[in-house]
This record gives sequence, C-alpha cells and structure tokens, in this order.
Amino acid sequence: MTTPEEKPVMIEFRDVHKYYGDYHALRGINGTIRAGEFFSLLGPSGCGKTTLLRTIAGFEDISSGAVLIDGKSMQGVPANVRPTNMVFQSYAIFPHMSVAENVGFGLRKDPRSKPEKAKAVEEALEMVGLKGYGGRAAHALSGGQRQRVALARALILKPKVLLLDEPLSALDKKMREHMQVELIKLQRQVGITFILVTHDQEEALVMSDRIAVMFEGEIAQLADPETLYRRPNSKKVADFIGTMNFVPCEILSEAGGKVEVEAKGLGRVTLDGTQAPPARGETPVVGLRPETLTLLYDGQQASDRATEGVVDEVIYFGDMTYYDVYLGGTDVEVRLSMRNVPGRPILDVGSKVQVAWSPDALVLFR
Amino acid sequence: MGNTPSAEAKAGWTLVSPPAIYVLLMLAAPLLLVFGLSFAGLEGGAKVSLPLQEGQDLHFTLSNYAKLFCWSASDTCSSTDVRMAQATATAMGRSLLVAALVTLTTVLLAYPVAYYVSFHVHPSKKSLWLFLITIPFWTSYVIRVALWRTILGYDGAVDAALGAVGIIDQPLNLLQYGTLAIVITLSHAYAPFAVLPIFVSLEKVDRSLLEAGQDLGESRWTTFLRVTLPLSMAGVVAAVLIVFIPTVGDYVTPELIGSGKVPMIANFIETQMWKLRNQAMGSTLAVSSMLIVAVVATLFVLANRRFLGGRK
Amino acid sequence: MKQGLGLRTYTVIYLLVLYGPIIILPLFAFNDATTVAFPLSGFTTKWFGQMLADANLRKALVNSLIVSLSTATLATTLGILAARSAVRYSWPGKGIVMGSIMVPLVLPEMIVAMALLVLLLAAGIKLSLFTIILGHVLIAMPFAVAILSSAFQSLDKSLEEAALDLGETGWSTFRLIVLPLVMPGILASFLITFTISIDEFIIANFLGGGEPVLSVFVFTAFRFPSTVPPVLALGTMLVAFSILLLTIAEYFRRRGVAKAGGKDTGGFL
Repeated sequence: MTTPEEKPVMIEFRDVHKYYGDYHALRGINGTIRAGEFFSLLGPSGCGKTTLLRTIAGFEDISSGAVLIDGKSMQGVPANVRPTNMVFQSYAIFPHMSVAENVGFGLRKDPRSKPEKAKAVEEALEMVGLKGYGGRAAHALSGGQRQRVALARALILKPKVLLLDEPLSALDKKMREHMQVELIKLQRQVGITFILVTHDQEEALVMSDRIAVMFEGEIAQLADPETLYRRPNSKKVADFIGTMNFVPCEILSEAGGKVEVEAKGLGRVTLDGTQAPPARGETPVVGLRPETLTLLYDGQQASDRATEGVVDEVIYFGDMTYYDVYLGGTDVEVRLSMRNVPGRPILDVGSKVQVAWSPDALVLFR
Repeated sequence: MGNTPSAEAKAGWTLVSPPAIYVLLMLAAPLLLVFGLSFAGLEGGAKVSLPLQEGQDLHFTLSNYAKLFCWSASDTCSSTDVRMAQATATAMGRSLLVAALVTLTTVLLAYPVAYYVSFHVHPSKKSLWLFLITIPFWTSYVIRVALWRTILGYDGAVDAALGAVGIIDQPLNLLQYGTLAIVITLSHAYAPFAVLPIFVSLEKVDRSLLEAGQDLGESRWTTFLRVTLPLSMAGVVAAVLIVFIPTVGDYVTPELIGSGKVPMIANFIETQMWKLRNQAMGSTLAVSSMLIVAVVATLFVLANRRFLGGRK
Repeated sequence: MKQGLGLRTYTVIYLLVLYGPIIILPLFAFNDATTVAFPLSGFTTKWFGQMLADANLRKALVNSLIVSLSTATLATTLGILAARSAVRYSWPGKGIVMGSIMVPLVLPEMIVAMALLVLLLAAGIKLSLFTIILGHVLIAMPFAVAILSSAFQSLDKSLEEAALDLGETGWSTFRLIVLPLVMPGILASFLITFTISIDEFIIANFLGGGEPVLSVFVFTAFRFPSTVPPVLALGTMLVAFSILLLTIAEYFRRRGVAKAGGKDTGGFL
C-alpha cells in the first residue's frame, strides 16, 4: 500500500451540502482525496455516494460549501472544462459511432493532426487491451469491452482525476473480479487519482487505498481498508463491512484510555478505549469478527482466552464451515468461521465446544 | 447542466414555450371564444355572424341555450325554434346512440385481437402485428368511409357476397338503413383505436400472476375472468373513451354514408357555424354537446373507478 | 396451443375485414365500368389517365403538398421542442401544458375546426392554405410529440453527460449526440404528420377558403356517381402512397429504437 499522506491534495470537500427540494442528499461532507490515490466512496444505495461523485464531475450543483480540485474552487466551472473524466455506470458508449470514434471523441478540439490523434486512440485502446478494435461498431461490443472503451475514452484526455460510477456492477462475477485487478494495474500505470463509487464492500476493500463509507448523506468513516475492517468506528460501519458479532456488555470502569467491561458470555475484559468514540447513547456492545474466534479441538490449548459454548447451527461452505454458537450458557449467539482442513471434523448441532478468542480483536462500541 | 430546480424549470419552459404558445393561441383561445360566443346575442335577436358589422354590439344572453329547450311554441319559441330544438335533440340522441353502439362493437371485437397479440404473439413479432393493425387507420379517412358506400350500397360487396352464397335473392342495400350503415362504417374506422390501449394494458399484466392464478386451482377461463380482465380494464376504459369521444362528433360518415339524411350533432354544428353563419348558435351547440360528452365520459370513468385505482 | 389457434384465426379475419375496403379499392379502380358494383367487368387503366388529365386535381395536389410539407415541418419542429422539454427537464405545470398539447387527440375534429374558424373570422384573417396549415399543425402536433417523446426517452441521459464530460458544450452535445440518435424519430414524425395532413378533410374543407386540396377533392367527387371511378384511381394511389410513407416511418422508428440501444415496445401510439 502506498503512503498517500505524503502526496499533495487533489480534491477537497468543504462542508458540502446538497438539497433536492426538501430532500437533504449531502449533509456536510468534509475530507480530502490525494493525488494518485485509489479512493472509493462506499455505501448502500441512496447514501449520496453517486451524488458526491457527480459534484466532482460537475453534473450536480452543490447547495452550499465548496468542492476544490487541485486547489481551485469548482464553483461555476461547468463539466466540460473540469480536469476530470468519468466512466459511467451504463458506460454511455455512443451507439452511432465506432470504437475509435468513441475513444477519440474528446480529441475533437485537440490541435494535433489527424494521424497523431489516430495514434493516440490506438495507444489508448492498447492500454485497455483492445488493440485493433478501433473499426468495430460500438453497439456490437460485450459488456466488458464497453467498459474498456469507456476507460480508454476517459483516459485519452489525461485527466487529473478519473471518476468511476459503479463501473463493475453490470458485469458478471468472474468478469468483475478480473476487471478489479485490471483497474488496479491501470491506476498504477497511469498514476492519476481514481475515485470509485461502489456499493460492494469487498470491491472497495480489494481496490482502494482509502475508503469513505457513507450513510444518509454523511461520511461515517474515512480510512484505509485495514482500519475500516479491524477498527470500524461505529456499529453501522462494522455491520456494513463484512460480518461482525455484537455481544452486549456493561462498562465497569474507565481510566487512562483503558475500559474495563463485563461482556455477556465472555466475562471481564480490558479494552482499548480510544477505538470507541465517546458515548452516543447507544447500549454498549463489543464486536468480534467471525474469523477471530476459533473452536478448540481435543488437545488444543487456548493461546489467550476461551469460553464454553453450544453449537446451534452448522453452515457448510466448502472451504469453510460457519458455526453459530451460544456462549457460556447465555442466550448470546456468535457466528464463527473455521477453515475446513483435512482431519478436522465438522461438528454436530448441540456439541459442547470451547471457543478461543483474544481481547485484542475486540472492538468496543458505545 | 441546470440541475438546480429553478435553472431546470427555466430551461424546460424556454424549450416548451413555442409549442405552448401555439396551443394557447390556436386551441385555448378559440375554445374560450366559442364558450363566450355561446352566451352572446345581438340587439333584436339577430344572428351573430362574424366578423361583426359596424355598430353591432354583443351582449350576454342565455337565449341561445333557451332555444335548445323549445319543446313547444310559446312567446319566446317560434314554431321554427321548436322544430329546430326537436331536430337538435334527435341528432344529439342519435350521436350518443351511434357512438355507444360503435364503442361497444369496436371494444368487444378488439379485445380478443389485443389479447392474441399480447399473449400469443412472439415478442419480436408484436410490433409488426400492431403495425399491420394500425396501417388502415393512417390511410385517408374520407376514402375509407366513402368505400363503405360501395360495399354496403345497392349491388355492393355485401350484396354480391350474400347473393353469391344464396342467402339473399334481393339486394339488401344496407345503405338505406342510415344509422346501421353509419355504425358499421364508424366501427370499422375506429377499430385500431380500440386495439391499442387494450393491448398496452394487457402487456402490463404480470405473467406470473396468471401462473399464480392457475397454480391456485383456477382454470384458464376463470383465471382470465378473475385476473386478466380486471387488470386490463384500465385499457378498456381508455379504449372506450378514445373511440366514444371522436365518434360522437363525427361529420364525414353521416354526410357520405347517410347522405345527410341522418345528421349527427357535428352536422348541426356545421350547419349553424358554416351554412347559416350563425356562430353564436353554433357555439351553443358545440359547448352543449361537449358538455354532454364530458358528463357521459366522467360518469363512465366514475363507474369504473375501482379498476383504475392502481393507475397513476 | 388450441386456444391460440382460435384467437389467431379470429385475428386474421379481423385484419382481413380491416383491410377489406383498401383491398376493394384497386379492384374498382381498374374495373372497366362506370358504376361501382359487382360483378367486375374488365381491366382498364383509363380511370388513372382521366384522373391525371384533370387540371383541378393537379391544382389540388400541389396545394396539398404545400399544406402537408409545411404542416409536417412545423408540427415536427414544435414537437421536438415539447418532447425534449418534457423528457429532459422537470418544470412546474408540465402536466397541464403537455396535456393541452395532446388535447386535439380527443377533441372531435369538427369542434377544433369550428373553434378555429370562429377565431379566424373574429380576427378578420382571410381563409387560405395558410389557415389550413394552422389547423393541421394543431392536430398533428400530438402525434409528433408522442413519437418524439419515445425517441428522446430511449436516449440514455448519461450519453449527453459523457459528451459534456469529454469537453463538448451543450449545443455541440445536442448536435453530435442527441440529434443523430433521435433523427429516425424526427423522420418518423415528419412522415406521420405529413400523412395526417394530406388525409385530413374537415379542417381542409372549412378553413381552406375554397382552395382545393386532395381530401376535399375526393369528398366532393364521391358525391357524384360519374366522377367516382377516376377518384377511386386517385384513392388507390393515395392509399398506396400512405402505406409506403408509413412503412418508411416505421422502419426509421425501429432503427431509432435499435440505435439508441432500447427495446422495441410497440407501435406509434
């Protein structure tokens, strides 16, 4: 992972608000995106992520606040002169033009000669793996090919920022995974800022240097993928990214950044208090990811702590098995995942088990 | 990109203003004028003939409407007025009757066609079938109506066909039964109008609902009655209105088929407005007939409103 | 499917009846008899010759072409503005304005014609070919708006945004992207409104101030038995011409739908 902190700021949001009539679509967006960063806007549909992307492109006016690109306010700057280009969700390939005409569309006012432009088009096509496709009719392309044409068409103008609006959502699973890797490679090759809008948390985690998780017009957390996964700052973010078990707890004492809690079924634990933001009035819970819990088989010892449990449900996934387990004679149920390796039996419902865990993996939400 | 509401509204209004102004001047203004003229009279009850002469001043009067109710001779109703009122009422009644019969015929005959195209024609062929159904509608109305004279008339196609198979030995000359001939002609002319809205509503019927119906033990026929038909009623209502309203006001068919002997209300309006140059009375007839049609149409829609509930 | 077969037979018969008059028309146009009655007596093309020799008819033809071409141009232009505005922008009062534009679809033509007549008389405007055009644009515009709306609707908005994003202005986007993609719809609208205008009788008859046009010529001719056979020949040609125009219009409409990447959902209305 690169260290984007050292790079200059490319995009800055200053308290951006957007209203559609009475509807408050963006509610005070602040944050920066750095040059050369692969940045993702992640959230459920209707959270404002596409609207935010379109305020960068210039397709949406903002009601108040400011959007700056490369230090310049974009107030009153129309889309056609902004240093950004976009790959649309529908790809927006002009159906009445050939592939080459599509890719070269933005070069119409370019002062270069015709052969030079043709060469630029050919190079752009080569970059996205469509060498020799220039003469094809645009409407005869497959989904993946359209996506590549849309990429080439945007990148040929050498924008400072490439905006991608759910670019992979129309592709099937295999193609999507393939294109994720291609996009990462392409971004490293051209070195410009990529801003991706997606509702797919896996996609965001795989591709991004940093991610802004959005809910209801606000950025809930802006962090790198690992922090987002390991140290989500709210139950909502934790729930949206991957799976997390929540165990009710009671706060016993708090001192020097350490919080001592009594977690139901797990017992007394001392946790890092800095990861949990100040109280928001919610009942406190501790969160643990399924993969941080382990079942102890005969002869195995817990490296840290262990709790008794009873298996309630067994879900077989091929490479993994998920177990839903009641903790320590309580009604608290957690899900844990075990890799299926040779010699490790699949347990039955009702089995009494030992669940091993580590206080380090626990996150406090309150 | 004007996407603030006011900028967008401005762009939209600027674009739409030429056609909007056109409709305002060429449709709204004339209709308002007709409405106004229907309440207009001249000193001494002279007929209102546009353009007005020097010194003629229009005043407000209800006498034009009153003349429509001259059922018997009195101080205000001359015997001519009585004959006129009776003839007008007859023509209006005939117009409504003809339009009702035409609507009933076209909708009943069109439903199976719309159903066939929607449910039994392969999706790629649907627009071809619709095209075939609509073509006759786009060819000259006058020619199509006039042709029915030759088909229904003495020794026409109907007589020839029936005579050939020995059903009749005397020519029927259906043309002499004025109203019947008008109904046949208009039913034929408005047939595509009835097919299209029904087809559109049938297309919207979720096919899985039909499978659900049969899955729940309904037969094909009861599934049709309990699921498909109610769901397509919105289209049937639209078809009824789209056929009924123009047929009430049809002019060409009574002229060509009925030879002017069985006039409908449009022929009366034309007589007053054009032949007699009595534009106030013509306007009164136009407004009254539109009012009657509007009332009939509204009652019909209200009677069917439970089918229209889900529609925007 | 048994049920489908019954329905299919019915639909085919329905279509045959629908086409009946149009099929009978050329039979009598080529029939060597002055009366229009069965049985047919023999083949002739003399009615076509007689028709083409008629000076009044040639005058009517020229007038009709002037009226129909003007109507098609005006109605399509106004239709483009209305359809584009309705599809692309949201503005207050859209329902009322677009509804008013479509009203002539459900008003009896006699009402439209007489209302316009009253206005023209009151304003002291002389009846002429021009006043026919005024009326025809009014009744043709709803069809233009309907066809063009579906053409604009099948245009993905992101295509325009993409062009803007790639450096084009609003106008050059319209010229380079929107216009080429809705051109089939524009052609279809032009042909349909042309057909409506050339076939229309009531407005042409009452607002024309005595200027002969084809539909009025046909109407008048049908009332006198002696002129019927030549007018059948004229009718045959008009119907054939209408069907030709419609087929071309339908071809363009479909190509437009296919070009814009949309799904074909039906006919003109």
